[in-house]
Amino acid sequence: MRLFSLLLGAACAYALHASEAGVLDWHKPQLGVPLIQSHATAPTFHRREYDTGATRSTILTVTQSNVLASVNPANGSIDWRYVFDDDDRIIAYHKDNDVVAALSGIGGANLRLFDAIEGDLLLETRLHSPEAGRLFEPETLGTAISFGSEEQAGNLFVLTDGHVLRSIDRHTGEVKWGWSAPDQTSLVVYSKILVTPSAIYLLGLANSFASYTLHISTLSPTTGEVIASGNVPSSVTTGFTDVVVVRDHRTSEVEPHIVWLEDKVIKYYPLTPSLKAKPAVIKGATYRSLQDVGVSAFGQFVAVQEDGSGRVIRLSSEGLKVIWDFADSATSPQRSDAIYSGGLDVDGHPYIARVFWSHAFRQASAHIFASHLAEGKGLVTGFTFPFKTAEHGIISHVAVDAANPEPYRVLSRLFLTTSTGAIQLWQHDQHQWTREEGLADIRVAELVELPERKIASHAGVEQEFFGARLRRQLSDAQDFPQYAVNFVRRFVTGSYASASASVAPSTNTTEPLSRDTFGFRKVIVAATSHGKLYGIDSANGEVLWSRVFGLGWAAQVGGQIIPAKLFVTRTVNDGEVPQVVLVTQRKANNGLVDTVLFHVDALTGDDATGKSPANDVLQGKDVVSGPLVEAFLLKTASARVVVLLDEFLQVHLFPETDETLRIFEKAVPALRIPLKTGPPGQRQLTGHQIPQKVEFTGRYIAYPTWTLPFPPTEDIRTVFARPTDPVASLGKVLGNRTTLYKYLNPNLIGVVTGPSASVPASKSATCAVYLVDGAKGTVIYHAVLPSAEGACDVKATLVENWLVYHYYDSEVGPGQAKGYRVVSVELYEGRGIDDKTLSSDLTSLSNETTSVSIHEQSYVFARGITTLAATSTSYGITMKDVIVAHEHGQIQSVPRRFLDPRRPKQKPTTEEMEEWLVQYDPVIPDDPKRVLSHNYQVAKTRRVVTSPALLESTSLVFAYGLDLFSTRVAPSNTFDVLSENFNKVQLVFTIGGLALAIFVVKPMVARKRLRERWYD
Amino acid sequence: MRIPLTLFALASTCVSALALDFKGRVQWNTQCPDLKALGQTKVVLDNGKWSGGVTRDGSFIRVDIFESDSLPEVRPYFPGTPLSPAAPATLPYPLVLSARGRYDYFVPRESFNVIAMFKNPMMMMMLGAGVLVLLMPTLMKNMDPEVMEEFKERHAKMTNLQSSLQSGDLASGFSQLLASGDEPKAAASGPSKGASSGGAKQRSGKGKRR
Repeated sequence: MRLFSLLLGAACAYALHASEAGVLDWHKPQLGVPLIQSHATAPTFHRREYDTGATRSTILTVTQSNVLASVNPANGSIDWRYVFDDDDRIIAYHKDNDVVAALSGIGGANLRLFDAIEGDLLLETRLHSPEAGRLFEPETLGTAISFGSEEQAGNLFVLTDGHVLRSIDRHTGEVKWGWSAPDQTSLVVYSKILVTPSAIYLLGLANSFASYTLHISTLSPTTGEVIASGNVPSSVTTGFTDVVVVRDHRTSEVEPHIVWLEDKVIKYYPLTPSLKAKPAVIKGATYRSLQDVGVSAFGQFVAVQEDGSGRVIRLSSEGLKVIWDFADSATSPQRSDAIYSGGLDVDGHPYIARVFWSHAFRQASAHIFASHLAEGKGLVTGFTFPFKTAEHGIISHVAVDAANPEPYRVLSRLFLTTSTGAIQLWQHDQHQWTREEGLADIRVAELVELPERKIASHAGVEQEFFGARLRRQLSDAQDFPQYAVNFVRRFVTGSYASASASVAPSTNTTEPLSRDTFGFRKVIVAATSHGKLYGIDSANGEVLWSRVFGLGWAAQVGGQIIPAKLFVTRTVNDGEVPQVVLVTQRKANNGLVDTVLFHVDALTGDDATGKSPANDVLQGKDVVSGPLVEAFLLKTASARVVVLLDEFLQVHLFPETDETLRIFEKAVPALRIPLKTGPPGQRQLTGHQIPQKVEFTGRYIAYPTWTLPFPPTEDIRTVFARPTDPVASLGKVLGNRTTLYKYLNPNLIGVVTGPSASVPASKSATCAVYLVDGAKGTVIYHAVLPSAEGACDVKATLVENWLVYHYYDSEVGPGQAKGYRVVSVELYEGRGIDDKTLSSDLTSLSNETTSVSIHEQSYVFARGITTLAATSTSYGITMKDVIVAHEHGQIQSVPRRFLDPRRPKQKPTTEEMEEWLVQYDPVIPDDPKRVLSHNYQVAKTRRVVTSPALLESTSLVFAYGLDLFSTRVAPSNTFDVLSENFNKVQLVFTIGGLALAIFVVKPMVARKRLRERWYD
Repeated sequence: MRIPLTLFALASTCVSALALDFKGRVQWNTQCPDLKALGQTKVVLDNGKWSGGVTRDGSFIRVDIFESDSLPEVRPYFPGTPLSPAAPATLPYPLVLSARGRYDYFVPRESFNVIAMFKNPMMMMMLGAGVLVLLMPTLMKNMDPEVMEEFKERHAKMTNLQSSLQSGDLASGFSQLLASGDEPKAAASGPSKGASSGGAKQRSGKGKRR
């Protein structure tokens, strides 16, 4: 009871002190993995030149997380980033000296201009509505941006939708002129712009039989009038991948050329405004591909010959000439195919880098070609650099920047994007920095508890001689004086472990991982879809270890590993090193899907099966040759077993030993497995059970027992279950000493349904939330919610007997406004107070499981959210708050007291006050003091994971999405540790004062007593 | 440093507006001097169906939204209040927003402060009690003997009652309390009160001698 009142007393606001910001919490802003498929989005170096002559370089990129970002090449920090909305995909960016322009949305619906260095948004304008845009495959097709030069310097030419060209003022956003292809229905799709002072060339492809034909239109830059238009006799089969527009913008004598590959031969066509030229052929060699490496404006591009060797071709006044052949670049088993990339130096000279991996030397090599050096004969500088392939996979993209400090010396900076999502900068062969951007795409994450620090290591030696024992004990005792001093000091000064101090390890990293006094430090094990598993220190966000997944047999054909579920199979409480099992789906490039398990030591990342060495890729275990339907962890007192169901509903266990089989056999009668079944669009929930008998195949096969169909307009969006956290109290004692017993059916699951993705969005579509008894399919709770323009954006969480969901209400009733709503639902046993059915222990066959009383209340919520989760503590005594991630990048906690569905509509009575109920208010207050992320901008949070600390009062919060953020919260305040505000000085002062008072008063009293004796 | 400014609920400001392009501007002021202080910000209409980014000069524009050619009427709205009737105040169009203050996410740490300690009601009561204890003897000394007598009796009653309550003898305590209600009439001088008044006398004696 005392604890109870303590909790209530502590229910007032818990908020962060300014000194704790950055100590309790950490935030890792990220940009995502660069989008390297197209030149229009891939990373490039950019050098901003100021009028004073000074320059500043940055790395610009668009990423898979839909972010346009600028990275500082010196230290790898983010100079700026602009996070685009998910439905506004960035299609292309283009840079000029001081600005960066970006097109986004379908067909290039939105144009934005940014300051190249500061990242400030300068201009935003909508070119067409996204619905009216044409969707191309790939999506970068049909759009292009180009900056005007000379008298057109203030203009920007934007091609959208494959047929609309606009000249836009860079400063005001005003459209100077617009041109639309007269025959929009024709099969010409324009995709490239070339702006010269005399004409704008629009290059497109026209569909013809079996291949494409190049189509060119020339327009006047000032008025937008068509000068000429026509097809170039050509036959292109691969779209724009083997078409390069070359020009030398430094000289106007050489007219631009369009170069393409036709039947393995390079053809070219000089561009003149009147389009009077004839196509010609470069004779001599056969080619495999043409590559625009980013220096085509300087007249250079790379052509790869049939045998794989690369050569540089330059456009000059003498026409197109091969100026360099890269030595030893033909395809060979000794090395990987080369990646070519172009860059510039401060003076604007082009450089072309060739980067490849040498299988023989197990090192990466780079050859930098500079055409202007060695008296114009060209110079190649080569070096190797120790790229760690076991840690970062393979190099998938290279951007290069060069400097030429003295003749015959070329210094280069290579910006690498790797297959695991890391980005790296190498200056010559020196590694500068690495950013693990794969962490912007975490699929599953779990917090794993750390073991205590071992003080004495007595490894249970059976027989030990006296000398050895003495030595061991002396060595153990050598720390004793320090311990004694510490003990005394702690006693005197009161410097106890503080609950609001950082738990990050000191610089001494040689010590093995161990937990802190209160268990705030854990390992976050996170798996990304870029084939990497990370162990992250929850104290400071540092990556402790990382492993790259091996593909197994699929390494021959290539493939991808997609993490599905992560289970902690062994915890510290089992007395050994904690272990995790990651269940993944491996999609090989030949179309086969397998289920692969990775069993890993959570503290070091070592393979728990002992098969893969620490410095190599992590090999998994193929458990199911086929896709996975469901995986869950079977927890019993003695063991934790991962149970997997394949597509034939066969049961696979991991680990599969006699003991686990026995455990599973024992658990079979109580297992109820609800699964999503049916084709997409008509999915239903089907309950499954597992028979006692093993099938002839030697495996258990689950059979369906019930089916819960949803209305034809609804399709299952998400299924969520209650966390397995302990529940401290089975009921809620009311003010009048009656009790509401919590409905704690262990099979309870939540389902969010919405209109099927295959059906076009309609305004009448509805969404719904269900609570279903997963053992027999009974609907316990059901609410129909309005959809926002045919889309369902319902976020829900279930904890104990409490369901909270959040949605957007677009229906405007009388006197009502559109807005976000949050609904809080509590389930209690029976028909009301004091009705007890023991729902947590009931058999699923009992009719009592459906007897439930529901309290619900809806509130207006100020903002849209991306996800929500309830806090979790080790014993469940502490109140549960809801942690929400706002759409605008903040993580906030919403106190349970505000979400209590039993908040009275009138002034609370004394009984209600005793329960600490506050009067109903339709709006949940948006209190900035409860923003856990304070000044951080935590972008695009996808999930919030909560985990208990050792302290009952505190819950750890880890949010991932684009950014990573971690903090700890105490919903009922830290009632189990001495308050930070506790003032030992004050206490000592008071006691000292009292002692002094006694000291002073005692003789006085004694004197008085004596006098009383005498005179009474 | 991102969006910590009270640009209140713009999303709901214009739910009922119908007109052509929507234009507005963020007025930079000392609270929010530039776009760096504001961070990446967008102005949202109707659950993000339309949104416009705030540019460096503070302006935001969203074109092609409305079909009507009359100017939109912009009214403030606070979530949780009824929408109709709409707020009587109209905001200027194009909309001009300015920051009212910076969100403060932190609470100051409580520190030891003697004055604050004595502002605590508990502390004040304690002080009051202390002062009373000190002043009591002087007060008693100056009291009229008759009033004094009466006071003593009442005090003795109360002490008795308290002691009986403490010892758990509720019935007797209660009856005493009831009896004390009749007191004033029979209060002149009862022999039954001898013992207790004696105790009181002793105490008052102490006071006198001081």
